[in-house]
Amino acid sequence: MIEYLLLAPLLTSILCFFTRTKKQVETISVLGSIITLLLGLLLVVDVYKYEVIVTWQNALFADAFSAYIVLIVSIVGFVASLYSVGYMGHEHKHGVIDDKKLRLYYSLFHIFMFTMLLVGVTNNLGLWIAIEMTTLVSALLMILYSRKSSIEAAWKYMIICTVGITFALFGTILTYFAAVNILGETGDALNWTSLIAVADQFDPTIMKLAFIFILIGYGTKAGLAPMHTWLPDAHSEAPTPVSALLSGVLLNCAMYGIIRFYTVASKSTGEAFTSNLLIIFGLLSLGIAVPFILLQEDYKRLLAYSSVEHMGIIALGIGFGGVYGIFGAILHMFNHAMTKSLMFFGAGNILLKHDTKEIFNVSGVVKSMPVTGAMFVVGTLAITGSPPFSIFISEFTILASGFSQGHIVAAVLFLLFIIMIFAGFFNNVSRMAFGNPKPGIEKGDMGRWTLVAMGILMVFIIVLGVYIPTPFYEMIMRVVEIVR
Amino acid sequence: MEEVIFGSNIMQLFIALILVSTFMILGSTRLYSCVRAFGIQSFLLASVAGVVALSTGKIDIYIVAILTLAIKSILIPYIFIYIIREIKVKREIALYVGISPSLIIGGILVVISYYLIRSINVITDLSSFALSASMSLVSIGLFIMISRKKAIMQMLGILIMENGLFLGAISLTNGMPLLVELGIFFDVLIGVLIMGILIFRINKTFETIDTDMLKNLIG
Repeated sequence: MIEYLLLAPLLTSILCFFTRTKKQVETISVLGSIITLLLGLLLVVDVYKYEVIVTWQNALFADAFSAYIVLIVSIVGFVASLYSVGYMGHEHKHGVIDDKKLRLYYSLFHIFMFTMLLVGVTNNLGLWIAIEMTTLVSALLMILYSRKSSIEAAWKYMIICTVGITFALFGTILTYFAAVNILGETGDALNWTSLIAVADQFDPTIMKLAFIFILIGYGTKAGLAPMHTWLPDAHSEAPTPVSALLSGVLLNCAMYGIIRFYTVASKSTGEAFTSNLLIIFGLLSLGIAVPFILLQEDYKRLLAYSSVEHMGIIALGIGFGGVYGIFGAILHMFNHAMTKSLMFFGAGNILLKHDTKEIFNVSGVVKSMPVTGAMFVVGTLAITGSPPFSIFISEFTILASGFSQGHIVAAVLFLLFIIMIFAGFFNNVSRMAFGNPKPGIEKGDMGRWTLVAMGILMVFIIVLGVYIPTPFYEMIMRVVEIVR
Repeated sequence: MEEVIFGSNIMQLFIALILVSTFMILGSTRLYSCVRAFGIQSFLLASVAGVVALSTGKIDIYIVAILTLAIKSILIPYIFIYIIREIKVKREIALYVGISPSLIIGGILVVISYYLIRSINVITDLSSFALSASMSLVSIGLFIMISRKKAIMQMLGILIMENGLFLGAISLTNGMPLLVELGIFFDVLIGVLIMGILIFRINKTFETIDTDMLKNLIG
């Protein structure tokens, strides 16, 4: 099952590389992502039935948490591939990219999907390998446009994330060392299942050191402050569908690594140590995002800083702990993925129309592009945590658990920061959305593919805001059981 | 058993030489000599792995040693030399920190690493020698990345850090499981190739590989 799930995007990628026409490559890409999505859903059902699936000599494995990540990756991947048809099609039509680059784009896109799925289903601390691979592939996607700014962004991204990830490798080695002392030198000593079982016997000094290195390492990749400096550059310079994948999914993948290690490390060091670190980094991320969101001039960077904020919220949720804190954090991963992708798609449409990323040079989007504009405004309300949308539910759960678990100061600061972010974010977006369009901007939306993609995400945002379906709820509860 | 391996004179000699090769990189202003020193460092690392393999007799470690030799001490330096030739950069390294301060800072970093590892105090004396060398490599690699202007030197810095971690892994646990090691080798190799592509792109668009030019995206 897992093998097929990994094979689908790889095959799609190879096929995309060897096609001739634009039509063919788009068809293959969309079909491939539909197949990946279906296989992802099948995996979710399988995990629901068998709890844990292990194949390929223990190298691949899936439990509820893996399945949850696979679900996020495959849904956003599917939607982004739909959106790509519209977005890259538009770029292709206007001669920004040629046939060759379009093929390259689609085949890299699916390899990127493959690496992110791999993050979810790797059975051991070899997770590191998969996360490093995501960096490599996405750096290539970023330099698709040979602009000065995108090359600069890709270089910074590559260097900062590789160094970060090197620290994570050190943390991984330390964890392996701690495990080998208990389990002996077997290949199994790195597997999640065998790690969790004996984690409480690990040497706490080593595990403390290991967790710090892991948190800094994967935290760099997850965009936690103060290691987030590459993030706004990378997310704003990548082609828009890729921005959505980077913000919505890739950050979650890195967060997944942190949470897995959190579970292992907490068993040996005690929860207080790991939780406090997560709360500190979470609050720092929220705090640093505030001024950059208030004073932002570039709307793609605005969204990127909002990702820093939301990763901080997830870290806070895990740090607050308790069933509700973790439940909120896990739910927030899904909600943020959907909402942030929607926002990037909206921003992409605006970018195609206005050809500028400056907030001041855009206005009247609701008038000139009614559907995109409306969804962009609703998305803004959703991403800043207003009811009745999905993010409100998860943020509220996290906040409540902050108070109930006795982290009063952290919870108050959290509330303060999200209120300021709401004001800043909405102020910036309303400048773009309302008023009269700039002269020379024609009326009309960007083509149906982009709108379909946004519409699908909209459904998730609205439905999860009022009601969480029982199977989905049970799935998250199982993830919470795994994390605790 | 590990104490026997890491206590042996030959091992200590190799590890000391690895540190020396790191200082050769710190003290050089010519790109070629830096790359050569890196090649020597990787060769010594492969020798360390070879000694561990000989004394434990594990096939896994033999494979790792051979891969280190082939990839890190031959293939990667070759890629570096190819890049330097193709983009025709000036062979001198531009520095933010001069050579003599660099060497002094390098020395300080080694001392700090040594005391840091000593203070953790969970590892036996003899393998802690290897581990403190590994910490020194990581911190000196990081220092090279921030004190040199050329993009190529940042790439070299990352690889030095990676070498340091390799030394750490093999001294702590006789290396990770083979599957994981293979994955890491794969990532390092692909990483070098992609950074190479990026350097070509930087050179083509900015007409230099000094990272001074990469300062436009802020705020």
